[in-house]
Amino acid sequence: MTAAERGGVPVEHEVARRTAESVLDLPGADEVEVVVVGARTGLTRYARSEIIQNTVRSDVRAYVRVAVGGRVATSVTTQLEPEHVKRTAAGALEAARAARPDPEWPGLPSPQDVGVAEGLWRYDEGTAAAAPAVRAQEVEGILTAAEVDNAAGIFETSAHSFSVVSSAGMDCADAHTRCVTICLVDTGDATGWGEESSHELGGVDAQGAARRALAKATRAAEPESAPAGRYEVVLEPAAVATLMEYLSYCGMGAKQVIEGESFLCGKQGSALASPAVTVADDVRHERSVGMGFDFEGVPKRRVAVLDKGVATGPVTDWRTARKLGAEPTGHYSGSAQFGPYASHLVLEPGEHSLEELIGGVDDGFLVTRFHYVNILDRPSTLLTGMTRDGTFRIRKGVVEGSVHNFRFAHRVLDALASVSGVGRDLVAFAPDYGSFGCTVAPSLRIEDFNFASTTSH
Amino acid sequence: MPGEGPESSIARRASANRPPGHDAVGRGRARLVYVRAMREFLRAALDAALDAGAGYADVRGVEASSELISARGVTVEALDRSESLGFGVRVLADGAWGYAASATLSASEAARVALTALEVARASATARNRPVELADEPVHRATWSTPLQRDPFAVSLEDKLSLLLTSTEAMERVDGVRIGRATMDLNKQRIWLLTSDGTDLDQTIVHVGAGIEATAVTDGEVQQRSYPGSFRGHFEAGGYDVIERMDLVGNSQRTAEEAVALMSAPECPSGTTTLVLDGHQMMLQVHESIGHPTELDRVLGMEAAFAGTSFVGVGDLGSFRYGSEHVNIQSDATTPGGLGTYGFDDEGVEAQRVDLVREGILVGFQTSRETAAAGGQSRSNGTMRAEGWENFPLIRMPNVNLLPGSGSLEELISEVDEGVYMATNKSWSIDDKRKNFQFGCEIGWAIKRGKLTRIVKNPRYTGITPVFWGSCEAVAGPEEWRVQGTPNCGKGQPGQTMRVGHGTSPARFHNVSVGTSQ
Repeated sequence: MTAAERGGVPVEHEVARRTAESVLDLPGADEVEVVVVGARTGLTRYARSEIIQNTVRSDVRAYVRVAVGGRVATSVTTQLEPEHVKRTAAGALEAARAARPDPEWPGLPSPQDVGVAEGLWRYDEGTAAAAPAVRAQEVEGILTAAEVDNAAGIFETSAHSFSVVSSAGMDCADAHTRCVTICLVDTGDATGWGEESSHELGGVDAQGAARRALAKATRAAEPESAPAGRYEVVLEPAAVATLMEYLSYCGMGAKQVIEGESFLCGKQGSALASPAVTVADDVRHERSVGMGFDFEGVPKRRVAVLDKGVATGPVTDWRTARKLGAEPTGHYSGSAQFGPYASHLVLEPGEHSLEELIGGVDDGFLVTRFHYVNILDRPSTLLTGMTRDGTFRIRKGVVEGSVHNFRFAHRVLDALASVSGVGRDLVAFAPDYGSFGCTVAPSLRIEDFNFASTTSH
Repeated sequence: MPGEGPESSIARRASANRPPGHDAVGRGRARLVYVRAMREFLRAALDAALDAGAGYADVRGVEASSELISARGVTVEALDRSESLGFGVRVLADGAWGYAASATLSASEAARVALTALEVARASATARNRPVELADEPVHRATWSTPLQRDPFAVSLEDKLSLLLTSTEAMERVDGVRIGRATMDLNKQRIWLLTSDGTDLDQTIVHVGAGIEATAVTDGEVQQRSYPGSFRGHFEAGGYDVIERMDLVGNSQRTAEEAVALMSAPECPSGTTTLVLDGHQMMLQVHESIGHPTELDRVLGMEAAFAGTSFVGVGDLGSFRYGSEHVNIQSDATTPGGLGTYGFDDEGVEAQRVDLVREGILVGFQTSRETAAAGGQSRSNGTMRAEGWENFPLIRMPNVNLLPGSGSLEELISEVDEGVYMATNKSWSIDDKRKNFQFGCEIGWAIKRGKLTRIVKNPRYTGITPVFWGSCEAVAGPEEWRVQGTPNCGKGQPGQTMRVGHGTSPARFHNVSVGTSQ
């Protein structure tokens, strides 16, 4: 495969359209929708300061959703050959016929219902074409910058394509590329972290991320113990992004609101966070990476779930919007069980530098990032998790030495309600799993944050 | 492009021989032709890798089928079928790994993917300090299949939906229950593996899972109760008979009533006390605090940047006290019904049963051919698995089992003057060295003078791994021991999700920090 071939989108829309057209008139079906997702990913993984795993994979999926008499089923295949897709569609039809009629099935959305979706095409051919040697060179640069003999992380380049074609008239396509670098530096008694992502190779400074990881680890040397308790904290962007992603799990989707499990239930119009906090799902933000429509082809709209601290969400899909009598915002997750999902959150930046945020803390901590966070109580947004890769004491506005990791147990909304400063240092983060999603977050200063326990080390 | 080209396509043969909606790739002679064609195709990819200079190569073809059903109340919330067919080529060249994978099964793609794997390996070698070495493994030529009583894909959808909807409707008839949900997950994988050592394997693995979940909601509070386990229920290797034995319908009302009871229950008191855990929570406890820390790739630092490392080291083998004398843990890829039960792992190593912790002492790690060699061991114990054809195999727990002790759950509880019994995992969190953990359960019961008394809600506990296991007073006996499974264990980059098994009994621990303020 030549570099030019490598740089093309994984599945051209014409191919996806031909695939779909082979089943759109499936006999016996009322409605048919075909979503074709293609990906070409190269991921080079290193640990102990050498490359340990290195993969290149080409992946394609055709998701065929069939409705008959208000009964719906989906079938998926990795093969786009017409006869295989026809078999897949027949399987979905057979399943749909066995299902029960769904009185709330709204039918497939059409462009007349929701408008014509346009792709964002945040696609860089150079990133899509990056060869294994390019990634290996980047890793060599990372290992040089990291200086130690125990650095670990990834350098990834990928290309993704999406097409939605349906019997209701949907016919839209989008594609994006992504480059991600992650570096953990372990100096023996402390670790540090650096991470960058962009839709293009040129937007990522892999050696810069490695140098930041080294600086963190060096600064974190000889950590001391500190007592658990409630403290003022400055959370760096990686830590803030994690809280935002779990806040989304806690109920930014309309299905969770309808089922009574969301933190937004009964809170529309209420102030839930500091007026300094605006959290929006906004795939069109200049730092975000994603597609301009959802998995039904509905155009994505910016939704401020928290607008200057006031609850104004949730995000919807075609089905939940119809149920709520609202406009669909284009957030169908692809899972009928989960419903709509806010996967491209942006916490809008403020005016402060990280140093200014730290300078305003009399006695508290600086947190680099969190590890293994989980939800303890969804409606109250109570989470727990650990700090990791650099937790530092702040006294009188100055970062002093490092401390051992804490376990936190805190409500995200309580944290956002006590925000006393928002950084201007926006950073974009790719998801840990899969290719869908992007979180863009700045640093935050939070007046009250609960470290529930100290740790053994 | 995927799906194009005039060449002989394995996928086309697969499709042509497949009845709609069923994973079985044809019957009789057509099936035989397809299987032969697949092996020829994989052989061509292997030969291409070796011809291009690979020092070692293996080629894995995977055909996977799944059916996932979710019912809520009187409606079918989701009915999703999936078929996946593709292959991956793993090579060693210049002392480094390369892996490439594709869903296009044509002759030209076999060669292209093999050459790409070589290109990747040679690029890897530029940042490699020492060559990869593999522990020896005998050559295997075999077939292996999950024993099945009743093929889950042969059961009608009507029967499956009827079972789930009867359960959901029963739950929603209980006052106070807002949502009754029931799920069923069926998975089948056929895995072919050919290696340059001469190993030639053909395995078929079938997993099933099902469960029910009742949700009660009042102003700002949500409580859930699940059966037989949380997060889509109970999972095993086997057929539809596994699901039938769960008796989802018979447990629907009790499950729903417990969800409602939790709404008015007091919070779990905080303090240091005696803790008894049910088998489901023990599954997660073993998984997070023994299963993961004893993966040798983590111990050697290979997972440092994502999942983390381990608080134990290679030098701890044979001496480190992991727990009390009641704690005996095995990695066992032969456990009947386990989600980690197979004939051979994804690099062709035969399934084994090995001790990880014996009478509280760390005595083993889960290994691969590479890590076994790096750790000075003569043979891998066969724990390498990959999610689908797309991914590079990693060390994944097969079935990491807590061996049974003696006595019943009732006897465990009867010996407690004051404590808490917690059941069914709800949340988990553990640090990157797997030493500091917190778990939450769906429900708890206060124990007073050897008896379960009132229900308490939001029960959680924290601990330090070796301290916690060191406080293990008793493990219930074989009559309480069950094989359980978690279908969503995440690891690796790109992220892979694996189904892993755990055989556990309820167990009792002293001096544990419990409560809701943890």
